Amino acid sequence: MSIEGILQEGFITTTADKLINYMRTGSMWPMTFGLACCAIEMIHTGCSRYDLDRFGIVFRPSPRQADVMIVAGTLTNKMAPALRKVYDQMAEPRWVVSMGSCANGGGYYHYAYSVVRGCDRIVPVDIYVPGCPPTSEALLYGLLQLQNKIRHTSTIARASVIAR
Amino acid sequence: MSAKIELLSQNLRKHFGDRIAGLQTALGEITVDIDAAAYPEAMLTLRDEPELGFEQLIDLCGVDYSAYGDGRWQGRRFAVVVHLLSIAHNWRLRVRCFAPDDDFPAVPSVVSVWNSANWFEREAFDLYGIVFPGHADLRRILTDYGFIGHPFRKDFPVSGHVEMRYDPEQKRVVYQPVTIEPREITPRIVREENYGGVKNA
Repeated sequence: MSIEGILQEGFITTTADKLINYMRTGSMWPMTFGLACCAIEMIHTGCSRYDLDRFGIVFRPSPRQADVMIVAGTLTNKMAPALRKVYDQMAEPRWVVSMGSCANGGGYYHYAYSVVRGCDRIVPVDIYVPGCPPTSEALLYGLLQLQNKIRHTSTIARASVIAR
Repeated sequence: MSAKIELLSQNLRKHFGDRIAGLQTALGEITVDIDAAAYPEAMLTLRDEPELGFEQLIDLCGVDYSAYGDGRWQGRRFAVVVHLLSIAHNWRLRVRCFAPDDDFPAVPSVVSVWNSANWFEREAFDLYGIVFPGHADLRRILTDYGFIGHPFRKDFPVSGHVEMRYDPEQKRVVYQPVTIEPREITPRIVREENYGGVKNA
């Protein structure tokens, strides 16, 4: 959207898609789903040094109010039904960020009897953040990548293209 | 052996005599073997006798000896190991009790003696399948609801028997047979002679 010359006239024009994506990327409220040590790093990202609030990312305690779920930590078999239930409770559009080796593919516990080998077996994942645990910068970068991903989706066409 | 360990050792022999199956002292710690039949009464004595005075149960766990010493172990397969602490005397004791039956391991519960044994015994039951007669609420504590098997037994495969995934048709998570290949890991040790001042065997 270009605003040169138009701003003086008191209005700007844009497409609905761009406006909607601007709103969505500006207020990605994540569902706090801390499962292990990655959660500590996620908390660091939210605290004052990295300050997720700058990006309009505010942690929500309820899946009903959340747009993004950050799966931070080891997903065990016992936790998997709860994770899926929380995901199902989130209102669409919704995104999932898989944080750390354990959530990406089981990581250290890949061959264990009690751990899900990647949270993408339970919920569809949009962004994978590697690391064990990923640094706060890495998670921040992942969330910015998610913003880019949202920007490149066209909402009007979305319903017919993507059937989740 | 320090004087305190010596004194505890003497007190144990005085109050138990031949009721203890074995007593070892190593690394400044005493380990006592007690038969399952004498176990509940012995634990009461350990708590109530002022010269022993073990007010606290610190830990209770199971042990599977089936692969111990590369299979040279001749004794019983399952044991329950209890760590006790006496605050009054400032000494500790390790009690080991072998389950008499390998196929149906059972050791009397000590929840009535120390309440803190409750969840520890549930854990030992969950992971080793050791049953504790006298325990009021012997359920699994750590593994998934409906889990089959006892994962800390040596014959339980590391990758287990089932794995979990989401089934889009049923709209819920389901168990399926494990899909990954079991793998054998042989650590490759690269270490020069006398590394860390230790002679390589």
